[in-house]
Amino acid sequence: MRLEAQNLTKAYHAHEVVNIEKVTFGAKGLEGLIGPNGAGKSTLMGLLTRRIAPTSGTISLDTGAGVKQLNPLKSYEVARVGLIKTNQRIQGFDSLTIRDSLRLAATPPKDEGLTSIFAGHRDTDEIEEKVARLVEAFPFTDRNGYAMSGGEKKLLDILRCLITEPKLLLMDEPTAGLPDDITRSVMNMVREKVLAGDMRVVVVEHDLPLIWEYCDYVHFLSEGSILFEGEPDEVKSNRVVAEKYMGV
Amino acid sequence: MDYLIFSFSLMLVYIGLAQLLHIQFGLAGIPNFGVVGFWGIGLYGTGVLYVVFGVALLPAILIASALSAIIGYLLALLVLQRSGQAILAATLALSAIIATLVVSEKDLTGGVQGLGTIKFPFGDMANRNFVFMIFILVVVLALVWVSARLRDSRMGRQLVAIRDNEELAASLGKNTAATKRWVFAITCGGMGILGGMSAPLHQFLVPYQLAPSITFAVWIALVLGGKGHNLGAIVGTFVTFGLFDILIETYAPVPAEQAILLPNFKLFCYGVLLVVIIMFRPIGLLGTDGPKVRQPAAKGAET
Amino acid sequence: MLILDAIFIGLLEASPLILAAMGFTLIYYLNGFMNIAYAESITFGAYFAILFNVVLGANFYMAIVPSMLCSGALSVAVYLLIFRPALNRGVGPTEMIILSVGVSFMLRYGLILVVGPENLFLNEPNITYLQFLGIGATNLQLIALALVLLTAGILYWMIYNTGLGEQMRGLANNRELAMASGINPHRTSVAIWFIAGCAGGLSGIFTGVFAQVAPYMGWNVILITMLVTIVAGVGSVRGAVVAAVVAGILTAFITLVTKPLYAEVVLLTAFIGVLTIRGARTA
Repeated sequence: MRLEAQNLTKAYHAHEVVNIEKVTFGAKGLEGLIGPNGAGKSTLMGLLTRRIAPTSGTISLDTGAGVKQLNPLKSYEVARVGLIKTNQRIQGFDSLTIRDSLRLAATPPKDEGLTSIFAGHRDTDEIEEKVARLVEAFPFTDRNGYAMSGGEKKLLDILRCLITEPKLLLMDEPTAGLPDDITRSVMNMVREKVLAGDMRVVVVEHDLPLIWEYCDYVHFLSEGSILFEGEPDEVKSNRVVAEKYMGV
Repeated sequence: MDYLIFSFSLMLVYIGLAQLLHIQFGLAGIPNFGVVGFWGIGLYGTGVLYVVFGVALLPAILIASALSAIIGYLLALLVLQRSGQAILAATLALSAIIATLVVSEKDLTGGVQGLGTIKFPFGDMANRNFVFMIFILVVVLALVWVSARLRDSRMGRQLVAIRDNEELAASLGKNTAATKRWVFAITCGGMGILGGMSAPLHQFLVPYQLAPSITFAVWIALVLGGKGHNLGAIVGTFVTFGLFDILIETYAPVPAEQAILLPNFKLFCYGVLLVVIIMFRPIGLLGTDGPKVRQPAAKGAET
Repeated sequence: MLILDAIFIGLLEASPLILAAMGFTLIYYLNGFMNIAYAESITFGAYFAILFNVVLGANFYMAIVPSMLCSGALSVAVYLLIFRPALNRGVGPTEMIILSVGVSFMLRYGLILVVGPENLFLNEPNITYLQFLGIGATNLQLIALALVLLTAGILYWMIYNTGLGEQMRGLANNRELAMASGINPHRTSVAIWFIAGCAGGLSGIFTGVFAQVAPYMGWNVILITMLVTIVAGVGSVRGAVVAAVVAGILTAFITLVTKPLYAEVVLLTAFIGVLTIRGARTA
């Protein structure tokens, strides 16, 4: 699973937010994307999942079974290829319970057609099992009810993405708004799946200790361009990163 | 007795329309302000096919409602991915176009002179109007059953998700645009069927029957009963149409000189009911069954 | 000549529409929902004119200003009694529109219950027929046109050049920020609803004087007003003026070359087309 962007630019009016010659995600397992505020990290995530249309450039996905151009795809088609992104801002379905929200995400679109209206039962045991496993792994206030706090909604957002079993998961600031211990359980769960070879992950984070602890490879984005890439230790000791980001 | 059967048949039609609107707006969040347009395509489509082209009633109803579904699909292609207010205006405009075309295309529709007569099916059977009422009842009950199934189904869950946050649903791989389009087209086709079944009830069709007040009567009934409740349409229609058009109009001792104002009084009361319910119980009399509904507030709330 | 005729007739027909669209847009802009009950501002403007002109016997021109003010006052009353409490209760935008349908029903059929469903006529002042550039028009039409354009001009100036306009735009764009910088949302809103009501009332008076005064007159123009407002883009008063003029001229032109009914069909179809291209996207 390799997601590759080439000559990718995004400009609002005359102001260029992203300008990347070439970058590859998903080649290394668990990757980090770091950079100062306003570096264009979230815009880049939006561009990769086709929620934002690029000004120019191509995005392609090598699924192992052939290379797929993502440019002509709509956002739902990108998701169906296996490229899923968690949200930085809190998002959710207010009228669905935690379990229903997860069941929805776990249900393949082909099972949601008109014939499902007359189906005998709603969800397969397989889906119910997956949902139960996720819900019980975390301390929701009301596991059979709705997500209550901002933190629960944020957690639910991440779980919703995980249960779709993506091939490449983009996580946009997963720690923001989550308690430390929950973040760790989530990241441990993610790492397990990566190690098992189920998926690849890109984490966008400001929390550098978390990046150093979990990531196998780190991309450094500044002013819309990738300035440095390497193993965590290389990035940590890199002069450009230190100057531009860590204010040394 | 015939008049009562007519009123009850018409009430069943209104329940059916409100039930379909419950699916469109209550579940999928599509504000269709052109209910009378799709119903009208069914009504006049059936009338024209039956009277001008000599098609038998039941096939005429089916063809006309297919037309209604196709027009619903085309309109959905054009505006369904736009904001709610744009959808509302476009559907309202469509119903105005239908009403205008019915007046202007005299050769087919008879224009303001009207179009008739459309007879009940079932040949010479006595009590044909009663049998037809039962026929409508069966159709409407089937509709209520299907919409209850829909609410609890995987597709219904997807509709609710789309209503709550379409962008998020799309990012999870749901083809939200196509789902909405099909649901809208099929429910518009359903409105067409109800329109077609109204043709023999009215027997004689005139453009006045396509007044936008039908759309609003259906909306009022649904909002009053509870847009998110599967029985909201039924309860709402009983409280509005049942109370005013059947109970009061048939049984209340209204002096003749005041009788002419009665429809206006009815619509005045509808207005008051609607204002009171939205101010004090916006979820409707029955509230919400199944998934709860939360709304973003309009601009200008002084918190 | 056909074009010139169309432009002139279009302007005459569009002039009440311009006012209505401006008033409708103001409320849409400020509170973010389409106020269907605005139709009744138009209708009641004409009925207030009947009250002053026919019942109380005032000269038509004398009746204009008080009728307009009454319509503005009605608009404020409806805002304070119904819409503001509803907004404060957090009623969503679509529900606000349904609420406004309810208010519209209440006012319209309440009016019919009080004054009856018959069409009424205003006592027009003496009418002389004038001609210039080969186009005929009555003095009343020209006065109406001049007065409407003047009012529209004042309204326009007010929105873009005065403190009130600035406050309104501030509130519409970012309510919290506007309130933090000392704008009193209550006073500004009341002022805007009053002005919008006055504009609707004036629009109704001129619609009424050229034809008749009927309970459905406001309702008959509200759809086109709504479409004009949406096509113009949310809350752009400039756009509303342009769209109203274009709609008027287009209607007049199509009416001159075909049947009037087709003008409506073409116009409505064109509107749906514009909504498709320009309407705000959801996802």
